[in-house]
Amino acid sequence: MGIFLDRLFAGATAGSLYVLIALALVVVFRSSSTINFAQGEFALFTSYLAWWCTTKGVPLIAALAVAIVAGFGMGVATERLLIRPVRRRSETAVLIVALGLFTALNGADGWIWGPDDKVFPHLLPNGVNDYIAIGGGRLHYDSIGIIALMIIVVFGLTMLFKHTSLGLRMRAVATNPESAALSGVRVGFVLSVSWGISSALGAFAGVLAVPALPPNQLNLASFFPILIFASAAALLGGLDSVKGAVIGGLSVGIGLSMINGYATFLGGELQLTLAFVIIVLVLVVKPTGIFGARRIERV
Amino acid sequence: MTALLGVRGLRAGYGSAAVLHGIDLEVAPGEVVVVLGANGAGKTTLLRAISGLIPHTGEITVDGRLCRDATPDAMLRLGVSLVPQGRGTLTDLSVQDNLRVGATTRRDSKDIDTWYSVFPVLGQRRDQLAGTLSGGEQQMLAIARAMMARPRLLLCDEISLGLAPVIVQGLFDVLRGLNTEDGTALLLVEQNAELALDIAARVYLLEVGTVAAGGPAGEFSDNDAVRRAYLGY
Repeated sequence: MGIFLDRLFAGATAGSLYVLIALALVVVFRSSSTINFAQGEFALFTSYLAWWCTTKGVPLIAALAVAIVAGFGMGVATERLLIRPVRRRSETAVLIVALGLFTALNGADGWIWGPDDKVFPHLLPNGVNDYIAIGGGRLHYDSIGIIALMIIVVFGLTMLFKHTSLGLRMRAVATNPESAALSGVRVGFVLSVSWGISSALGAFAGVLAVPALPPNQLNLASFFPILIFASAAALLGGLDSVKGAVIGGLSVGIGLSMINGYATFLGGELQLTLAFVIIVLVLVVKPTGIFGARRIERV
Repeated sequence: MTALLGVRGLRAGYGSAAVLHGIDLEVAPGEVVVVLGANGAGKTTLLRAISGLIPHTGEITVDGRLCRDATPDAMLRLGVSLVPQGRGTLTDLSVQDNLRVGATTRRDSKDIDTWYSVFPVLGQRRDQLAGTLSGGEQQMLAIARAMMARPRLLLCDEISLGLAPVIVQGLFDVLRGLNTEDGTALLLVEQNAELALDIAARVYLLEVGTVAAGGPAGEFSDNDAVRRAYLGY
């Protein structure tokens, strides 16, 4: 029982981080029908930035704020300077720009910060004894913090979409940009803000994720698996659904943790393969995901 | 009197395909004007250019002032609102949210209840997604959504398209009321010439991207030759 709970808690922690990254994908997809494959690299860049701040003596919480602000700025700039000019031509061009950005950012990170692993501090105490015992399982403070922050973000996004004027305009643009424009919504502004919020969310998730998920250190490959798992989560839940991102993220996190723990014959190496299996299965069987309304027609 | 909307030498199209080859047109404050023409004459393109959805060359003026780089947002703030062809409702949003979005340029949504009294069925379905409404209900919502911005000029692109005659009659009654009671000017693009001529003061006939003829509505409905040639009845 204790081991099961340990695995459940670990899975829920990883799952919460997938939820956050999946939400970043959802925010952009909802407003612009684009899957931002560069999202993971945005988070990597801002995580390096936060790490660099901590090495200069900046407290982690302030470094987190720097990362979030930088993430917002990167999102807005990317939409304005790279996505908008090519969107008019084709969706494929947008995809290629995102992939190019992915490679370019990764290269830039390596050039600025070097290829060696960086040790990244936890936001909350995460020593051997920093846990609450529940039914024989250990729920670490760091896990509690991550799960709580995920819940707060989900609540905040739900409020944004349902109860604010900006959220209403974002939903309007997602449904039909032309009709939204005819109602006086400044579509370009809404898209920029959506990309900003998405990237800020990714930056936030990144700083939380680096110490919490293997390899628990910051290096150039840190976010590749996280983005794959989060993409699987977002697709599973439905790319335009906040609820879907939550269910999808937690399912992927807990599911992988259980498979890793109990189906040891699969070995840890197959985790990424499993994520791809989920992605392919969703695209083939139910392209809208579990809670999504819009099918993925262009990836 | 200065025209509410003035269009001079308007050219517009899609990419390299020019559709409008120099249109001149005016709508006075509170006037009802109808644009008739066959499919492909450029009627929809005309309204899309005026409302700022597609780029144009030539002049578009509101109250005599030139609108450079007109965007839908800017035109709406000047008092020009479009009910696009094919309804143009926000299908994934509720009826109520559609109307709230319609008030974007005004920052208050007091008129929503007014529109629920004009179209009671919208009030009954306020929490329903717009995409689940019937064609007629969606067209009511499209008109109400466009009117939420309190325009002085409402552009309507084929609002009768695909709807039952009794529904169309109801929609035209509402449009007539907007004009006679609130003084909203109307620029209607219509295939249903009979109904449109009935409420219009003036008519423009569009033929392959140019204005072929224009004048008081009475002249058109009474002139058999024009009727047969352009209106097909």
